[in-house]
Amino acid sequence: MNYPRPQLRLLFLLAGILLVGLGVREWRAGFPELAERLERFDREDAPPPIPPQPRPRAAPRWVAAARPETPASPPVARPPRARAAAVQPEPVTDPRPLDLNHASVEEIARLPGVGPGLARRIIEERERRGRFDSPDGLRSVLGLGPRKLAALRELVTVGE
Amino acid sequence: MVWPAAPLAPLAAALAAGIWARAWITPPTGWLLMAGAALLIAGAAALVWRRERVATVTLIGLTALLGMLLGATPPLPADHIARLALGPSATVEGRLAEEPRRWAPDRTRLVLEVDGLVDGEERRPATGRIQFTLYGEPPEVGEGQRVAAELKLHRPLGFRNPGGFDYPAVLRREGILLVGSGKAATLVPLTPDEPPWPVRVKRWAVATIVAHLPEASAALLSGLILGEKTGLPPEADEAFRRAGVYHILAVSGFNVALLASFVFFVLASLGIPRRPTAVAATFSLVGFALVVGGQPSVLRATVMGLMLLLAVLLERESQLPNALALAVLLLLAWRPGDLWEPGFQLSFAATAGIIWLAVPLGAWLGTRGWPHWLASAVAVSLGAQLAVTPVMLAHFNQLSLAGVAANLVVVPLAAAGTTLGMLALLVACVSDLVADVLFQALWLVLWALRLAVKSAALLPAALVYLPSPGWVSIAGWYAALALLPFLGARRWPRLATAGLVGLVLALSLWQWVRPGDGKLRVTFLDVGQGDAILVEAPEGPRLLVDGGPGGARRLDVGERVLLPHLWNRPAARLDVMAMTHSDPDHSGGLGAVLKRMRVGEFWENGRWGPGSEETLRALERSGACRRTLAAGQRFWLGSALVTVLGPDGAAPLDQPPPITENEESLVLRLDWRGFSLLLTGDLGAPGEERLLAAHAPLRALALKVGHHGSRFSSSEDFLDAARPAIAVISAGARNPFRHPTPEALGRLEAAGARIYRTDRDGAVLLETDGATLWVTRWAAGTTERFALDPERSLDQEN
Repeated sequence: MNYPRPQLRLLFLLAGILLVGLGVREWRAGFPELAERLERFDREDAPPPIPPQPRPRAAPRWVAAARPETPASPPVARPPRARAAAVQPEPVTDPRPLDLNHASVEEIARLPGVGPGLARRIIEERERRGRFDSPDGLRSVLGLGPRKLAALRELVTVGE
Repeated sequence: MVWPAAPLAPLAAALAAGIWARAWITPPTGWLLMAGAALLIAGAAALVWRRERVATVTLIGLTALLGMLLGATPPLPADHIARLALGPSATVEGRLAEEPRRWAPDRTRLVLEVDGLVDGEERRPATGRIQFTLYGEPPEVGEGQRVAAELKLHRPLGFRNPGGFDYPAVLRREGILLVGSGKAATLVPLTPDEPPWPVRVKRWAVATIVAHLPEASAALLSGLILGEKTGLPPEADEAFRRAGVYHILAVSGFNVALLASFVFFVLASLGIPRRPTAVAATFSLVGFALVVGGQPSVLRATVMGLMLLLAVLLERESQLPNALALAVLLLLAWRPGDLWEPGFQLSFAATAGIIWLAVPLGAWLGTRGWPHWLASAVAVSLGAQLAVTPVMLAHFNQLSLAGVAANLVVVPLAAAGTTLGMLALLVACVSDLVADVLFQALWLVLWALRLAVKSAALLPAALVYLPSPGWVSIAGWYAALALLPFLGARRWPRLATAGLVGLVLALSLWQWVRPGDGKLRVTFLDVGQGDAILVEAPEGPRLLVDGGPGGARRLDVGERVLLPHLWNRPAARLDVMAMTHSDPDHSGGLGAVLKRMRVGEFWENGRWGPGSEETLRALERSGACRRTLAAGQRFWLGSALVTVLGPDGAAPLDQPPPITENEESLVLRLDWRGFSLLLTGDLGAPGEERLLAAHAPLRALALKVGHHGSRFSSSEDFLDAARPAIAVISAGARNPFRHPTPEALGRLEAAGARIYRTDRDGAVLLETDGATLWVTRWAAGTTERFALDPERSLDQEN
């Protein structure tokens, strides 16, 4: 039996596309880190934030005005170093590990190196499996390579 | 004259010319109506006496007249919201005309079709369209939903600078006469979110794409198929611009042609006859146009596509020029203001360029021995590129040099991506699993597309920035293009084309080689709340002091104001850029300038605070030579002397300064012949005291008032020492800090200074030849002339 030529063309094209798609899917699941790196090749990370300088409270006008006339007095009430250090905000971390089986997207997205997109994919993986048996289950999530997993292992747990 | 291939072309040209003429001449509507009636009678008479030629000319004249009538702003109804008296804030009810657009993390822009105004207990009916920004996290709302919001409404106000972009005019053409802002919490949905089906289809399509592809790829595919570019990362957006292939991210004839050929290919392969296929294609085109929305390029492409399909159905020869002319007529009759929109102009110029030039260019390349497929692809790309060049230069100062070559690679990839994407979306209605496989294949295509675009964008002169051309150059260029198809036949078109191209080149070159007029110019640009001051020495060197607010997350003044202003000077490089201090309203716009223009030196105070990260990174990448200035240094800017008066270096750079960062602002003094100018950044009273104590030379003819006219700056002692005759305040209209303050204004007036304000006057221009000073308030268009005498007193001459 023979298909007509135009239909053959169309079917071959479709079969080819499906083959390529399946191949890419397999490859991306096998090398998620490389895939993620390729995906981000033309992206730029935001520049590192410049930490806010501890701003001294605006000194009353007479302080500055007094300076030229009375050079003997200490220049300007400079904030003591200790206080300056205290103003620096401490990074807030929750000491308890995050329960992957019950956490929401927002909670997962707060983990270091996990953005909203990755968090969503983690939740999808959880729904697909029902629950995570161990943090190693994260390995099959797209974009979560061994390096990222190693960083997260201490911070997550799996509950019932 | 009737052009046989496109009988509608003269009418389309006449309508466009009428709308265009309306911007320059505004005869009373009554006269126009009477002239129209006269033409109508004349035309009827000509028809009766069988003078077809006279009737044709009359018809063209009548169309132009209609264009002039359409081009006028229609009178507002009495209950239009712009005519109602509004308090400081008003509760407005209406229907959302568009999907909300989030343009920064906490800012959402909405367009509302107003139907009522709530004033206490009373509700008054109102009409009109407003655009407003909500700050904070708004509730989920969508197009078509009725909402109420408490807003502060005001007339739109753009930046008023020489050669600047007229934002209020753009809004006016969209029917928006009032803009506003409010807190997101005040937005109340009045009806549930039940959008019309096209919006629902679009939302579903975007959600499906996002679910199957990683972030950047998903954003790119949404742009390709739906023209939805909001999710595209800024660096990818930039790469598409640089490569000259940005057009594939807008929905245009490209998508429409792909959709139609997709339908034709699939149905024809299945052995379905031509006519039912054409009907199916017609329905898919109309559906597609409804889903992606009403940008001019979509409408143009849909009208032309439908004309071509109609030709298939009626088994007639399709005539592209006529389809294009019909699209012009329909679009302009519906929305005359679109004539001024870059999107409209680009879409029609590119299509006309392809129709007019692709065949002769392809034939010419063919005679040079190029293979047929390459010749035709290059001819299409080149034809479009030649036709859009003046439009791109006039609106964006951009000339793409890589575009023609980049399109050869990018367009086939984009075509594959778009077709595959439409197929995947179609499959996703049935099976998510199969669709996912298709999306995986698509990922590869999109990745190749991104790679091609990125590589093209990395070419050194992929995109060059040039001053926008004048009317003569634009007309000359299009006349030369119009003659291009006739070059082979006779001798005179060749001579005429060569002459026209020569004229355009000479005019373009003249802008660069024109000798200076020996004047020093200082331009205080209107950048909203912030500073941006351009100093141009008579010999040519340019110094830009501060760059206004900017950055990726807000309206970038560098991109919108500074760069167009500099490109139109014209300037290829900036000799010195100075940043008085790193606050975002001074440093923000500098990043864009550093990215796009060669900068010789960068002067700074050595302190970088939060909010200036992007500028710092742009600076580090720009290769500009950095200098940390301290009091006492002097530099020659041509024959003008720049003296650094502050900071005095008392506070070590690695420690926070004793008072605030503002007091560490660079203080610069500029002297040239009888003119002197003091630029103090955001210096406050403590910093001023330090300058006084150091006996800095403060006496100056003109003063850039410190800290936008804050009450903590411009102390009496300082003004007593500076005694400025002219004080320029750079502040934004309706700024939240209420700068300039009455206290500062009062002290300046008491000191005898003449005050100029960018919030009221737009850009303020100081020009001097050493003996006379001209001061221009750009918004009002008035210039005052002062005579400078050696005593530094100032006599106004008129």
